[in-house]
Amino acid sequence: MGGVARIDASRSAPEERLVNLVVALMATEQGLTKDTILSSVSGYREQAETGASKDALEKMFERDKENLRGLGVPIETLGDHADPDDLREARYRVPTAEYALPDDIAFTAAEIALLNLAGSVWSESSMSEQASSGLRKIRALGNTVDEPIIGYAPRISVRDHAFAPLQRAIEQARTVTFPYLKPGERAPRLRRVRPLALVEYEARWHVLGVDVEADAERTFLLSRITDAVVVTRDAFDADLRRGAGERALEGLRRLASSQTALVEVHPGTEAALRLSRRAVPAVQGLRIPYVDAHILADELASYGPEVRVVEPASLRDLVIERLRGARARHGGVG
Amino acid sequence: MSANRPLLATERAALIMQLVPFLLERGEVSVVDAAAAFDVSAAQMREMVEKLTVIGRPGDGGYWQLPNDLFDIDWDLLDQQDRIALTHTVGLERAPRLTAREAAALLAGLQLTGSLPGLAGSDLVAGLLAKLARGAGGLPADVIVAPAPVDAARDTVDAALRAGVAVTFTYKAPNAPATTRTVDPVKVHIADAQWYLQGWCHMREGMRTFHLDRVSDIALTDIPIEHAGEPLPALFEPSAFDAVARVRFPAAVAPLLGDYLDHAEVTQTKGTCIATMRISDAQSLRRLAARRGGDVEILEPPAARRAAAEWAEAGLAQYGSE
Repeated sequence: MGGVARIDASRSAPEERLVNLVVALMATEQGLTKDTILSSVSGYREQAETGASKDALEKMFERDKENLRGLGVPIETLGDHADPDDLREARYRVPTAEYALPDDIAFTAAEIALLNLAGSVWSESSMSEQASSGLRKIRALGNTVDEPIIGYAPRISVRDHAFAPLQRAIEQARTVTFPYLKPGERAPRLRRVRPLALVEYEARWHVLGVDVEADAERTFLLSRITDAVVVTRDAFDADLRRGAGERALEGLRRLASSQTALVEVHPGTEAALRLSRRAVPAVQGLRIPYVDAHILADELASYGPEVRVVEPASLRDLVIERLRGARARHGGVG
Repeated sequence: MSANRPLLATERAALIMQLVPFLLERGEVSVVDAAAAFDVSAAQMREMVEKLTVIGRPGDGGYWQLPNDLFDIDWDLLDQQDRIALTHTVGLERAPRLTAREAAALLAGLQLTGSLPGLAGSDLVAGLLAKLARGAGGLPADVIVAPAPVDAARDTVDAALRAGVAVTFTYKAPNAPATTRTVDPVKVHIADAQWYLQGWCHMREGMRTFHLDRVSDIALTDIPIEHAGEPLPALFEPSAFDAVARVRFPAAVAPLLGDYLDHAEVTQTKGTCIATMRISDAQSLRRLAARRGGDVEILEPPAARRAAAEWAEAGLAQYGSE
């Protein structure tokens, strides 16, 4: 006899209660009231019987509901028709159609192979776990003959601590605050932003968001966020997110095509090889499109004597400043 | 990977909900295989399966649930053969929808893999993007990965991989004269938007890694690949010949050092870090030092420290007396 004998009321684990709740809410068409749930669903029932206060149980139920929704379980609240705000008589249920992957979705072996590769790109553990979890659900649909795509091992790195909280804030459409250090400024300034999309462009993560103070969309580099991103309780209209990723990408591309640097490179060097791939040949050297002068200056400085900036002068100054800094830090040339 | 990491109750609940459709699809599966599929230890998997058998519908009248109301498994099979098979289910039979975050992780990965030569613009990717969007329970956050342009070198490598033939090219490693190589291509790594080709180098007679940006004059040969089976080194595997370097930098700069720190030993005191790492080419550190404009100081080896000062000086010399 598997089940009955093993129930131990006082020690039932919270995950059992959570899954019991999902099973109960999926088994009902018309929904269950809170009272029914607390007195009949295993995990609550035992605690009610051993004298837990109604208040404590209700709090537990609210928390469980919140956690399950966080897992993507669509818990529906059916209110009182006469008074939709009165939740005393509310009924709860989980509609199967919204809980489960649609019946008519199927994946071919070639699609599964591509998804396996897509899921393997994350070098950061939390995104990697999310991808595996999604893949497991898809693979449970069956038809999973493995046809590995050979020859490629693509990776995406997320080294910025700001990535995870920003992603959460985008999902929940919540305003965030973070200290942001603009190059050239002495100290970081606190920004208040409605984050809309995360974009990796030239191996750096950016967030597109509405800067609340400026009341306009801005793109921020995650690496310039100097301290914790705080997700506030201030919610914004999720409609703002529509098309945000494309917009961010467009903006970065437009910026890159609108500003270029003119540089001279010594043939056959690392700088020549790297820069010529993305540059347009010019009479006096190469024209390089760029998004951010400081980031291009970092790269150009790394090439040392292999490259000389002709214009713009502001970029040349940034490169000179870096070379001077590096020379001074290493004791100059004696 | 993350096996044996302690899980939160909510995470365990999510896994149990995925376990039922997984087991139904597999029919019968060993504890070890199921644990691998769920990225947990065998002990954690066994515990999850045992938990499943005390889960079920509320009993009639709100009291004891009958066995019929609970999930059940073949206990003999588990106890004697370490294998799992469901014998009774009371719900959860279908796979849950993807959460917004799961969908986002796969969608972003798909953008990167979808930009590979041979896949770019294919119906396969477009079809998958639509299916993932339909299979997600919530609207995923836009996580966009801008595809890097695919150039002739990348296309040629892709063609060689598919045709199973070697490629020839000129290779110019930093601080070394250019050489002509013939290589059996085995794997293309893409990391931080840089492409690396790993393959068997006919000249060096061994597996080598080539940065595709340093490759020029690349062409297909008609030499069939013969050495694909040999073990591949990790992408940035430190070898015995590497130099040991020590660098100092403010802690805030650490995220900007990227993969330099992936295999480094880092100590931090009062906001200043010192990283000790093996690097394949101590000369390359002068580039890092110049890039960070004085934020990164090379402490050792002394030759690399000197080289950093000279590199910056030579760069400055181009700008005259400024």
